[in-house]
Amino acid sequence: MTEHVTAWLGAYQDGELWGRRLRQVEDHLAHCAMCRAELERLRALAALLQESPVTGGLMPPERFVAQVGLRLPRRPERPAWQRTLEIGWQLAPLGLLGAWAFVQAVSVVTGVLLGALRMGLGGDVAARLLPGLQQGPWLAETFNLSGAGLNDVGRIMLRLLSNGGPLGWGITLNLVSLTVIGLLYWSWLGSWWAHRQVRTRLPGQQRIG
Amino acid sequence: MVYRMCGDANLAEDAAQEAFIRAWQHLPSYRPRSPFRNWVYRIATNVALDALRREREKVDIDALPLATSDEGPETTVEGRERGERVQQAVLALPPASRAVLVLREYEGLSYREIADTLGVPIGTVMSRLNYARNRLRESLAPYLERL
Repeated sequence: MTEHVTAWLGAYQDGELWGRRLRQVEDHLAHCAMCRAELERLRALAALLQESPVTGGLMPPERFVAQVGLRLPRRPERPAWQRTLEIGWQLAPLGLLGAWAFVQAVSVVTGVLLGALRMGLGGDVAARLLPGLQQGPWLAETFNLSGAGLNDVGRIMLRLLSNGGPLGWGITLNLVSLTVIGLLYWSWLGSWWAHRQVRTRLPGQQRIG
Repeated sequence: MVYRMCGDANLAEDAAQEAFIRAWQHLPSYRPRSPFRNWVYRIATNVALDALRREREKVDIDALPLATSDEGPETTVEGRERGERVQQAVLALPPASRAVLVLREYEGLSYREIADTLGVPIGTVMSRLNYARNRLRESLAPYLERL
């Protein structure tokens, strides 16, 4: 006879055995009177537990629901400025997206205008208003970054501002704006995540046992 | 479920209300990875155990008389006595085993659902259930023989 399966009888009775283990228990039960008797005792216990009525005089469900409703904490009405601040906070990414789109649009329009002036479409106006356009290969010099370290970034920006004329200003402002927008967005994302962590923590939710 | 855990009607009602209030307050923290029912059971089990712990500090809960109700004529004295004895035997179990037994026998949760609800492995669920059933078979032996 195979080894007794008493350790698995509870799971068998609960319908929690599958596959090889289930077949093993069924095969064993077919031959072992002792394990069959043990299974019967488990079934009797389950029946006794199920048949035992709830002896306490519990309140009717309607009254229970009403009492829960009364005990729910009332949320205090928040002042208008706080609600506005919260809405503004939630809309901050949209604002940043708008700012980014604006900077890009300005950059593109500036580029198109400068390109047009460079091609001589503006006549004398271009030479008078935008002398930087005539200064030759400053852009290639400025962006000759091979071997440049992080400390050189400031120098490159300064060269852009001093030699680059309106195009240099445009590129620099574009870079600065995008950096600021990126930093603001990541700050917002970080604080949103931290806020979410605080809200999702369930106090007193310990493991049982 | 909370009543089966606490064994006292007033204590259970208070704990059940507290469980629903906590669930309401922490609704934003619910993640639909696990069924909503399991999430509520988890809160209810924790609240019931907290209530029992607080009550045990104040009075000897095992000495509390089990509440009685205005039962119909079909409820016999023997049936009531048996019900009270079963409830006392369940209450005498350690809280961890009691929680597993109540969720399985009275709420019909599967082992996987119990494991998710209580945050323990399935093997632990099985061992606690076996332990609880063996203890109950010993303490309820006179009633089991009559069945």
